[in-house]
Amino acid sequence: MLDWIQTHIPPWVYIAFIVHFAILGTVAYLILLERKIASWTQDRIGPNRVGPFGLLQPIADGLKFILKEDYRPRHVDKVLFTVAPAVMIIVIIVSIAALPWGGVKQSTRRVTAPTQVDLKAAAATALPAGFNVIDAKEVDHVDPGTDVNGNAVPRQSVIEATYRWPFQIAGLNIGVLFIVAVLSLAIYGVVLGGWSSNNKYAFLGALRATAQMISYEIPLGLSILAIVVLYGTLDLTTIVDRQAHYWLGFIPAWNIFTQPIAFFMFLICIHAEANRAPFDLAEAEQELVGGYHTEYSAMRFALFFLAEYAGMITTSVVCVALFFGGWHFPGLSGNVDPNNPSVTTSLTVCILRSVVIFAKTLAIIFIFMWVRWSLPRFRFDQLMHLAWRALIPIALLTLLMTAIVLFVAGPMSDDFKKYQRIDGGLAAIFFISNVILLAVVMIASRVLPAAPDTNRRMRIAGSRFSPTPTGAPGAVDTTPISPALSSS
Amino acid sequence: MKDSDILHLEEPRLSLGDQFYLPQVLKGLGTTMKHMLTVLGGKDRVVQYPEERREDMKPEDGGMLLQTYRGVHRLNKDEEGRPRCVACFMCSTACPARCIHIEAAPSPWDDREKYPQKFDIDELRCIYCGMCEEACPCDAIELTSAYDIVGLTRQEMIFDKSKLLKIYDETVKSEPM
Repeated sequence: MLDWIQTHIPPWVYIAFIVHFAILGTVAYLILLERKIASWTQDRIGPNRVGPFGLLQPIADGLKFILKEDYRPRHVDKVLFTVAPAVMIIVIIVSIAALPWGGVKQSTRRVTAPTQVDLKAAAATALPAGFNVIDAKEVDHVDPGTDVNGNAVPRQSVIEATYRWPFQIAGLNIGVLFIVAVLSLAIYGVVLGGWSSNNKYAFLGALRATAQMISYEIPLGLSILAIVVLYGTLDLTTIVDRQAHYWLGFIPAWNIFTQPIAFFMFLICIHAEANRAPFDLAEAEQELVGGYHTEYSAMRFALFFLAEYAGMITTSVVCVALFFGGWHFPGLSGNVDPNNPSVTTSLTVCILRSVVIFAKTLAIIFIFMWVRWSLPRFRFDQLMHLAWRALIPIALLTLLMTAIVLFVAGPMSDDFKKYQRIDGGLAAIFFISNVILLAVVMIASRVLPAAPDTNRRMRIAGSRFSPTPTGAPGAVDTTPISPALSSS
Repeated sequence: MKDSDILHLEEPRLSLGDQFYLPQVLKGLGTTMKHMLTVLGGKDRVVQYPEERREDMKPEDGGMLLQTYRGVHRLNKDEEGRPRCVACFMCSTACPARCIHIEAAPSPWDDREKYPQKFDIDELRCIYCGMCEEACPCDAIELTSAYDIVGLTRQEMIFDKSKLLKIYDETVKSEPM
């Protein structure tokens, strides 16, 4: 039985179970953390009545959500109203699959399989799918014979197979692309929820969310691209692997140092993607009474809520993997190949790496919450300005800068040529290029023409304040409102 | 309103740092972090109500002076334990919220003509202005400093004569007449 489990159930099944329960459990506690941080920034102490330090508060909240009446207003689109929260949470859960948790585990196992010329292929038939067999040695063999029913049994080899598997749910080689693609589907949950609610506030929230998502996907993708161009891979495990060394022996080779501008843009964009303050226009309580989830209650609302926080975890893990070296921590580098530090033979190290990446993720999530309780919401035109007039041009420039530096300085670095890793010298060049780029952008922001006037007073012909000059109803008054505004 | 009445203000020209958002954003984050650290250092501004009460704190720490506080009413009793009220209706006349309802009856005692057969105060309508206390000619109605009165129904919050007399018994020690 144990043997059957070992040969048939791949480890990602267990990892999937653990990761999902861990993330959904964390989400509940993130809500508590959010409330605590909200209180601390406001000189309060936060929930502390349910359990010690309020630690049982999430359980109380969950019970409340489950026991509340699942109210659905009349005249909503029943199917879409039900589907919307499900879409939201499904999308987030799917995106969890590609997150890199513990690098690559290398194991050795003795398996028995029918002999083939290609021993690796023979070993692969006896192992669960998804294992990458890198070495196979025949240590023994069973001669061909007949089984109890008299059928011929071919020659069998006892193979000592060494194989590698990524310590994550799905070791996709397009990991980061997959996550971005799947997360952008979350907007469907928002739009469907807002549309089907048959409520003007919900609808306005959904409209805003759509425009915001379209705008911020672009700089998000471009800032990821700045890293992808660096390493020539979309595989998050590999990206982390390339960051797991040191410059000058003590500075961790994290991308936050090589691409600080891309990091800040990525951070801003994941705030916008998660629909959180200061980009929470889709659910602006003060203007839109809650936005797209105005009409939702009980568990349906809780699903929206869960999705928001689970989305924060996903994007934060991606942020850690791209810019903070993922699991990289002193003592956790692999013991197989110094040039490929993510490969390890120790399961304990893999688990410790997951703990490290989770701790780093919590730090990013803390930034999310810290920002939420510090900054006021953008106005909608400011939001669009930030994306189209600032982030997208800067992201394009960053990408250009990365490409030029790699083209010019890349061939000079042995480390980069051999392992496509960034060594100290190249990192310094990148850092300086970033500073220069920042200066260029700052100067350009002064030189370029100012943004067009928004939010100015509009004349509505025939209104109380602007009587129609010609007297004809509907005639448009073309005289300028004021010299100050018309000059710009 | 004419266009000439409108004052157009020029937006102040942003400095290079302000135009870039981030320096000011970081400054704001610094402010909230300072607050977070003060709370985590044990200096919050929370009064944990049922355990900590403002009347137990010094006024300079945000405490409350009970001597001047106007809370729930009581009906005072005289030395013989009878309600001092003579059902003169002065309080209900003075009441701006019209929350005092008195029904008078001939007094069973010789020293007064009337006494209140019913004396109801709707504590939910009352605005705790203290006018009844001011109007009372025989110091029968008084506001105590008790503020934590609760009820599950509106009916429960209409205090009748027996309840108001009971409040007197409960508060007479801490707040003599």
